[in-house]
Amino acid sequence: MEEKTPGYVYDLKAAPNRQVVAPKSVPLPGLKSFLAEQAAAVAAEAAKWAKTQADYETAKAKAEADGKDAPKPPVRPVAKPDTNDMKFPRPEPATDADLLYLQSVLGDQVTEAFQQAGEITCQVDKEAVLAALTLLHDDPALGYEMLADETATHYPVAQDFAFSVVYHLTSLRRRKRLRLRILVPEGFEPESAVPVYPTANWMEREIWDMFGIRFRNHPDLTRILCPEGWEGHALRKEYPTLGLGQRDIDFREDRSGVLMRLAMEKAGNLGINLTPPKAE
Amino acid sequence: MFKNEEMEINMGPQHPSTHGVLRLKLKLDGEVVTSCRPEIGYLHRGVEKICENKTFFQGQVWTDRMDYTSAVANNLGWAEAVEKLFGVTVPRRAQYVRTLLNEFNRISSHLLWLATHALDIGAMTVFLYAFREREAILDLFEAFCGARLTTTAFRIGGLREDLPPGFEKLARAFVARFPDCIDEYETLLTENRIWKKRTIGVGPLGAEDAIAMGVTGPVLRAAGVAYDIRKAFPYAAYAEMDFEVPTRPEADTYARYLVRMAELRQSHRIIQQCLDGLPEGPVMAKLPKVLKAEVNEIYHPTECPKGELGYYLVGEKGSANPYRFHVRGPSFINLQALPMMVKGSLVADVIATIGTLDVVLGEIDR
Repeated sequence: MEEKTPGYVYDLKAAPNRQVVAPKSVPLPGLKSFLAEQAAAVAAEAAKWAKTQADYETAKAKAEADGKDAPKPPVRPVAKPDTNDMKFPRPEPATDADLLYLQSVLGDQVTEAFQQAGEITCQVDKEAVLAALTLLHDDPALGYEMLADETATHYPVAQDFAFSVVYHLTSLRRRKRLRLRILVPEGFEPESAVPVYPTANWMEREIWDMFGIRFRNHPDLTRILCPEGWEGHALRKEYPTLGLGQRDIDFREDRSGVLMRLAMEKAGNLGINLTPPKAE
Repeated sequence: MFKNEEMEINMGPQHPSTHGVLRLKLKLDGEVVTSCRPEIGYLHRGVEKICENKTFFQGQVWTDRMDYTSAVANNLGWAEAVEKLFGVTVPRRAQYVRTLLNEFNRISSHLLWLATHALDIGAMTVFLYAFREREAILDLFEAFCGARLTTTAFRIGGLREDLPPGFEKLARAFVARFPDCIDEYETLLTENRIWKKRTIGVGPLGAEDAIAMGVTGPVLRAAGVAYDIRKAFPYAAYAEMDFEVPTRPEADTYARYLVRMAELRQSHRIIQQCLDGLPEGPVMAKLPKVLKAEVNEIYHPTECPKGELGYYLVGEKGSANPYRFHVRGPSFINLQALPMMVKGSLVADVIATIGTLDVVLGEIDR
């Protein structure tokens, strides 16, 4: 800054919490990625063991050539048995009747179906989400009457998509839960679930507010948690936790409240809604 | 001579009866509400964003502050959600103690609901009577975890320490005198002519509309749908408990009052079973000091006093922080049904309806 700020003024813009720690991986649970990872880990361990053995052979030959004693033969490392009360749930292939039914009806629109931690997950094509939701709601064999939750996650590191939108459905009659997932690239507008599940109204408004994903055919897609006129989508990974400085006041400097009053006058004394009401 | 206009007024965000900073844009034709649009976000603190920077252990502290009237239920949901993410088995004694405290919390949350709802409608005596019992429960929470309201009662894998000596005596003393207290509240309100005139037929929400709007909890049970997550998807020690799920067919404010009063009695029953059947054993599972996740996502629903409280967690490989943390707040979803429930009713009925939905703004806005 140009002038020297006094020591007690807390410079919010340079604070560590303003910095954004970008994620380095794509933690999207799935069966195919898990199996690929397992295979890669097994192959890496086998390669490492082969390399250890090869190194031992060369070291032994060198020791015999020099006339010294042979080095100890290597022992293949065994995983230590876990004594914790913790066992990570692994994804398993789909054996549940609902998942198999969905796969048979929707065909190749279902890109993944698996079970993990006692929950069943079905990933569909982003274009097919309304068809899948209608099927889940109307089909008497499935009968998922209630949408418990709809939310999204931001994966900035992923190549083919930017967000995953997740629907948690409950069947009250059959006491069953199912998760429906779609992968959405930046700028794509999925179909709104409101025609099938009216409860998705505020849930999708929150997703728009926090992530910037618009939904087609939503009756009223406006910001819900942040005020109207807010810039930025807060739950994206590049949005800092302390915010972009839109509502900051240096309260420690403004002891008499003069700066606060000046700011309010500049905004036209509008109080908490900083946009003047529009004439309707 | 008279001009007939629709008036649009603001109810809130500062209002003694909106149970928090809730703003309702009401369009009125005289005293009758023609439309209502809730505006929320005044208490938005960004808990979901903040918890992405905290470890799984630290995140529990934030859950107390969302639904601040039922902090123990929030803590239970969080602990169970993280345990589901990691596949942790919790010892049986810890499950029983968790169930016990959860039911005490259900009673204290329903007492606060009763007190404030009756106060909004005008019955001021119930407030003092209900808070007298609530003080006893808050003493129990203070004895167990040191805090009355923001408890952070549980730990991942069980409890931090066992029940303190003297806790069981306090709990049994409360259990012994509580049914008479419920009878006392019922004497004040249930057959009261003014109460019935103010609540029967007010804020109707039928079963189909309720399920379509995702409404859960006592509001759904008062519409005749016997859906309780403690019975449908049992967690903690509820599978071993013997209790009923009260329902009513009328689906108005009076029905929700009766359902919650019946739930008080059922909670009392569960507490007695927990105290009588408390097993011996450890209260904490064996866990590594630092919990590093694998790639996993879970959704864990629990029955909060207000409805279905769901925690959605996504774990990142090797990270001690959640990659995504989302709370499905029952008050957030239940408030969506408010415009439907108050259309065509009087302004005084709007206040009764907000009270009967039992919304907590901390959970709505997070």
